Amino acid sequence: MSQIQSFYYPQKRQIETRKFTIVCFIALFLIGINSVLKAQNSDAPKPLSSVYFLQNCFVVKQPGMILPAQNVIIKDGFISDVGPILKAPFNAQIIKADSMYVYAGFIDGYSSAGIPKPEARGERGERPKVQDPGNPPNDIAGITPQIQASDVYKSSDKSVNDLRGAGFGISNVSPRGLMLPGQTGLFLLGDAENDKMKLKSGTGQTFQLETNRGVYPSTSIAVMAKFRDLYKNASIAGIHEEKYKLNPTGLARPDYSKELMSLYPVTTKKIPVFFVAPKTKDVHKALSMKDELGFDMVLTEVKQGWHYIDRIKNSNIPVLLSLELPEEEKAEAKKEGDKSEKKDSMLTKEVKKPEKKEVNPEQDLFDKKKDASIKEYLSQAGVFEKQGIKFGFSCLNVKPADIRKNLRRLIENGLSEDFALAALTTHPAQMLGISQMAGTIEKGKIANLVITDKPYFSEKAAIKYVFVDGKKYDYTEITKKPDSKPSEAGKHVGVWSYTVETPGSTQKGKITIKKTDGEYKVVVIDDANPNREDTASDVSMDGNSLTFNITINLGQSVRVDFDLKFEDKSYNGSVLVGQMGSFPIKGDYEGDPKI
Amino acid sequence: MNRYRFLLFSFLPLMVHGQNVLIKNGTVLTVTQGTRENTDVLVTNGKIARIDKNIATPQGVNVIDATGLYVMPGIIDCHSHIALDVVNEATSPVTAEVNVGDALDPLDVSIYRALAGGVTATHAMHGSANAIGGQCETLKLRYGTVNPDDLRMQGAPRTIKFALGENPIRVHGEGNKISPNSRMGVEQVFRNAFSEAQLYMKDWDDYKKGITKSSPAYNLRNETIADIIKGNILIHCHSYRADEILMLMRVLKDFGVKKITFQHVNEGFKVAPELAAFGATASVFADWWAYKFEVYYSTAYNAAILTKNGVVTSINSDSEELIRHLYHEAAKTQKYGNLTDDQALALITINPAKQLGIDKMVGSLEVGKDADIAIFKGHPLSVYAVPQKTLVDGQVRFDIMKDPDDMRVDINPAEKYASFYESNVNSEEDGCLRGISETLLQEGNSNYLRFKYSQNQDH
Repeated sequence: MSQIQSFYYPQKRQIETRKFTIVCFIALFLIGINSVLKAQNSDAPKPLSSVYFLQNCFVVKQPGMILPAQNVIIKDGFISDVGPILKAPFNAQIIKADSMYVYAGFIDGYSSAGIPKPEARGERGERPKVQDPGNPPNDIAGITPQIQASDVYKSSDKSVNDLRGAGFGISNVSPRGLMLPGQTGLFLLGDAENDKMKLKSGTGQTFQLETNRGVYPSTSIAVMAKFRDLYKNASIAGIHEEKYKLNPTGLARPDYSKELMSLYPVTTKKIPVFFVAPKTKDVHKALSMKDELGFDMVLTEVKQGWHYIDRIKNSNIPVLLSLELPEEEKAEAKKEGDKSEKKDSMLTKEVKKPEKKEVNPEQDLFDKKKDASIKEYLSQAGVFEKQGIKFGFSCLNVKPADIRKNLRRLIENGLSEDFALAALTTHPAQMLGISQMAGTIEKGKIANLVITDKPYFSEKAAIKYVFVDGKKYDYTEITKKPDSKPSEAGKHVGVWSYTVETPGSTQKGKITIKKTDGEYKVVVIDDANPNREDTASDVSMDGNSLTFNITINLGQSVRVDFDLKFEDKSYNGSVLVGQMGSFPIKGDYEGDPKI
Repeated sequence: MNRYRFLLFSFLPLMVHGQNVLIKNGTVLTVTQGTRENTDVLVTNGKIARIDKNIATPQGVNVIDATGLYVMPGIIDCHSHIALDVVNEATSPVTAEVNVGDALDPLDVSIYRALAGGVTATHAMHGSANAIGGQCETLKLRYGTVNPDDLRMQGAPRTIKFALGENPIRVHGEGNKISPNSRMGVEQVFRNAFSEAQLYMKDWDDYKKGITKSSPAYNLRNETIADIIKGNILIHCHSYRADEILMLMRVLKDFGVKKITFQHVNEGFKVAPELAAFGATASVFADWWAYKFEVYYSTAYNAAILTKNGVVTSINSDSEELIRHLYHEAAKTQKYGNLTDDQALALITINPAKQLGIDKMVGSLEVGKDADIAIFKGHPLSVYAVPQKTLVDGQVRFDIMKDPDDMRVDINPAEKYASFYESNVNSEEDGCLRGISETLLQEGNSNYLRFKYSQNQDH
């Protein structure tokens, strides 16, 4: 830690001798050479220089402070200078940022970016094979607090790329898993090797109400009981270990359980518990557990926490609000009663045939209540702001592409722009203890920057560049495309066959992919039931990969997730059927979609 | 300071619940102190302050006109699974450490439906998958709150679920190929668990007295069972057969445990004197039987026989449907067993209160007790009885005149359907074995259908 600080704060050493400065300079130079050598091995063209000069831009130094006509010099990973009258260094790449806006790189308070998703468990999502389901090994029970995020972090994971593209430079990363998946750590969201991107490890311990199927603990009540048990035992074991160190005579040898030992920092309040608590009852559980056991806590991925706002405020509990928001039905979609009813009728066969819009007071009342409910979710951030709760955001479940849109929705519902920016930068920096390195645009801080063509929160703003750790990521090409051709033909449009292999059967059918008004539409028709069309939701085309899901009725509604990788005239991929498991899917191009 | 603040916050909403109200001129069925015609009940701060004729209306007190109506204590359901997100932690034959109180669901619309049947308190129980299941929670049906803590009945003793017979044998013996795989095995599970807890207590006693130097490991499961042995937790045991009921009483006697309520207890009528002698109580169905092998030998006279043998008996629902007409269930004991009105009403009021250890606070209309009150049109034991208003702590939580179609407290923003029925058309069935079908399904267990069937019977 001290190493990191002195490394990142060359200005602190200004009073020291010039000799030292020269040594530093040489050291930095060598590091520069080193990275150039590394870069030669990769496919990407090597950067001309690691010095950048952002010319004539608006600098949003910190929330609420916009400075016009500024220049920013980035050198070797730091912001080396900011000001109105600066000369570009001779070796700098000059970025003409006229009228562009520069923000401090965003900080994600909590997610699992960079942690590869585990393979789908078992063919039918079977429960793990254990001798006694009541007493499974710790890793199967989901008790792995000893895992460090840095043990499993991969900077090359697509999720890192996506989050960086949304403007994030730092993420507090948690290992994936069940009730105690491991310790979180801070990573720079650059694409250099994993260890190079590590900023700080052991920022907290994740706790969540997630369980494995059919083995203890399999329910939230057992997870809570198990946590109480582990917590008390960690306290006891920690004290015993201390006693043993002082005088082992006559004392039982400590167990040195790696699980309990990695909980000592929690029981001694050296690190907080990141308690994943999306809904109101989860928040209640988190607050109750904290009051009962007394650990430090960060309420994480909160979607519905407003019922407990007084308690959160009075106990000064740090909060990370989820950036995933409930979807609103578009006004037009609602009017087209036929369509939505048709979609519904696939889920429950009994639902009446679509008819001309009829008066349905029950539906109307429900729609009103539902709209009010959605409004509450969208207003939460604004309500927390009014209470002066300095929350950050967590990106655990939000799709990175939705982040800016969702922030705008929060702002439309009462959150101020300055507070939104603070929740993306200064608040999480304080919460995570990195205010000295990140969160604002100041000389000496890590060169994590977001550069947009218009103010970030304005309607048509687009991210042009993101800097992480002084490295430039260019989005000027990507952001141009949709502007120039809003109704382009779309990729992989057409009718495709599909074949899904499940144990004991093979299912075939057709997938139709269309693109209208800039949006992909996917319809799935199974050969076994050719009269039924399943319209897909959450359609996302990213390069050659397409993901979407449909809901089918297997006695109960089951969500089926498709993940397809296209290659010219064929594709491969997988389908995840509810909790039954993941199966391979493949298919070929068959022709144009019927219009 | 932190702790103090927490207490302040958790009690604050409860204080808000305490209401003042005057119920005028009803037929007051006190259950314990007779029936009083044309009588008023005055409620102050959520407690019954006076029961008398012609009480003058104090200033600022709402009046409910009960002329021609029946006023009775709120119904108490001694066996319920409503208002719970989790019912079974079915992975181990002993899970004393888990507590359904950690998974209360104040948003469950079943709470409102129970209120519409005059119910004001339920015993929210763990399921019957395990020989020693989890701890249960006694709830007051304060529907409308989102805070689970508001449902808890302050001052109610701790309770725990035990289970005998087919359920634990099927889930663990047949399902997981571990003990218990027979009724004998179930007995051994209890004996082992109690013995282990005794050793655990001794380990800690030795450490605390300084006899041993190293601290034993903490074990929440053993802590809980030790609390049962110490008499701090009341046992409520899922049971059917007489031989097993006698077995469990023998086990408890060996370990010095005195407080037990047998649930379901279909063959209780065969061992009524033995139950009375032990001081055990019984919570039964009015007339449910034959839904699985061990409940073929049953009778609708069960409640009456138990009552007349001096066993404190209650009638429970174990169902989110039956809970809405427990007064009908109680009335059946007048057809089958000729119980008096007070005896029949006691089955759903003061007797379940005794079984839950809350009879000092609720279960009858007496001065000083909580104003948990149900108001009926028609005598509650008549088939024409219709609940009109249900009050918890003096606050009206159900009023038949203000009963909108949609009473959901929280609408999921992702909810697709307007009606509760549509959104639940394929949802999992309720009951004591809730949460288990999934496990069994993937086991490919040949007994699956049998399970499925028994599950649909809810117990």
